[in-house]
Amino acid sequence: VNQTPSTNTRAAEIASVLLVVQASFSLMAGLSAIPFAIVEPGFRVLALMTILIAGAMFWLARNLRRGRRWAWRWLVTLEVLSLAITALLSLLPIGAIRGPVPVLVNLVIPVAVVVLLAAARSDARGAA
Amino acid sequence: MYDIATDHAAGLSAALITLAFGFVFLLGLRFLAGRRIAWAIRMTQAFAGAPSITKVAATLMLLSGGIHLALEPSHEGITGLLFVIDGLGLVGFAIAAFLTTWWRRPAVLWLTATIVAYIVWVVAGWEAPDQIGIACKLIELVALGLLMRLANPTRRTWPRRAWRATAFPLMACLTTLGIWVGGLVHPDALHAHAGALLQPVAAVATPEQRAAAARLLADTRASIARYQNPAAAILAGFKPGPVCLRADAARTAVDRRHVPDATRRPVGSRPGRAADPVASARGHLLLPLRLRIQPRDALLDLPGRLDQYHDAADAPRVDHRQRKRRTLFRRPRQDRPAPTQREVIRP
Repeated sequence: VNQTPSTNTRAAEIASVLLVVQASFSLMAGLSAIPFAIVEPGFRVLALMTILIAGAMFWLARNLRRGRRWAWRWLVTLEVLSLAITALLSLLPIGAIRGPVPVLVNLVIPVAVVVLLAAARSDARGAA
Repeated sequence: MYDIATDHAAGLSAALITLAFGFVFLLGLRFLAGRRIAWAIRMTQAFAGAPSITKVAATLMLLSGGIHLALEPSHEGITGLLFVIDGLGLVGFAIAAFLTTWWRRPAVLWLTATIVAYIVWVVAGWEAPDQIGIACKLIELVALGLLMRLANPTRRTWPRRAWRATAFPLMACLTTLGIWVGGLVHPDALHAHAGALLQPVAAVATPEQRAAAARLLADTRASIARYQNPAAAILAGFKPGPVCLRADAARTAVDRRHVPDATRRPVGSRPGRAADPVASARGHLLLPLRLRIQPRDALLDLPGRLDQYHDAADAPRVDHRQRKRRTLFRRPRQDRPAPTQREVIRP
C-alpha cells in the first residue's frame, strides 16, 4: 500500500502546480505575440506585459509554496481579476472562442486555484 | 483556436462518465468496507491514507485514460492501438497510485511519452489537433506537474534543482509550441484564429445580406464597366502590367491606395474614414491589370489630383520624380506640421 506521509499534502502545493501551468501558458502567449510585434507596435507592449505577468506568476507560485502571505494575497487578487475578465469576455459580443480548453484554462483552473488558496489559508489557520 | 472534431465529441461524454463512474466506485467501496469485506477495507484505507496530490493526479490520469479509450473507435491502425494501450495504462496507473509504491516514476514516463507522442502525431499530420485532444493534454500536463511535485529529492545539487524548477514549465511550453507548429504546418477547417476575434457567421444568408451582396456585385460591375476594354483603361491613363494576384503584396497595397475612383477617392480603405463598401472589391478587380496613374493625363485632371496627393510635407518621398522641385520649394517642411505617413496619400 502506498504510504508516503512525508509528502507535502497541503492545498498550496496543488495550487502552485496549477499556477505554474497558468504561468507557462502566459509565457507562451507572450512569446507567441512577439512575431506579430514586428508589424504591430501595440503587440510589443502586450507581449512584454504577458511575459512579465508570467514571470510574476512563477515567482508567486514559488513563494506560495514557501508559505508567504503576501504571495497568497497577490494570487487571490490575480485569480479573481482573471475570473472577472473571463466573465467579461464571455458576456461581450466579440466572438470569444468557447469550448473545453477555454473553459478549463479560463474558468476551471482559476476557480480551482482560488478554492485551493482558500483551503490553504484554512490549513494555515488550523495549524496555528 | 481549434474547434471540436465531430468524431472526438465522444471524449466529452467519456470524461463526464468517467468522473461519475469514479465517484460511484468510491461510494461502492465505502459501502463494501462498511460490510467488512477485506479487500474493500484495504482499498478504502489506501485511498484515505494517500496524499491529496496523489488523489488529484490519479483522478486526472483516470480522466485522461477514459477519454483515450472513448476516442479509440474514431482512430484506425496503429493510432487506435496506441489509444487503447495509453488509455489502459493511464487507468492502471490511476489505480496503482493507491496500491503500490513504485508507480510514480513509470507514471511520469508514461504521461511524458503520451504528451510527446501527441505532439509528434500533430506535427507529422497523423492527428488533427482539436479542443478535446488539447484539453486531454492539459489534463495530462497538470497530472504530470502534480507527480513531479510528489518527488522527494535526495540530492539537492544545483543542476538537479534547476532541472526540477524548469522541467515542468519547459514541458508545458513545448507542448503549446508543438500544437502551434502543428496548426501552422497543417491548417484545416477546425482551426480558427481566436486572436482575430471572428464574429460567428450564420450558415444561411439573410435577405439583407443577399441584397447587400447583390448591391456590391452590381456596383462593382458598374464601376469597372468603363474599363472592359483595356484600351479604354490605357486611354484613361492606366498602365497595363503583369497579372499579380498575391505576390508583391506590400507594393500592390500601396498601388491600390494611389488609384482613385470616379469620386476622387482612393479605392483602398483607410482607418478613420467612412468605409466605401465597393472600394476594396473594386481595388481587387483592378489589381490584376496593375493600373497606375500617368502624370500627364488631361482626362483625369492629374495636375489637380497630384496637388491633392502631394499636399504633404514628405511628398517628395512619395513621388520625387514628378513633384520634386515644386514640392520642395513651395512647401517647406517647417511651415506645416508633419503629417503622418497615412496622410501623405490622402486626396
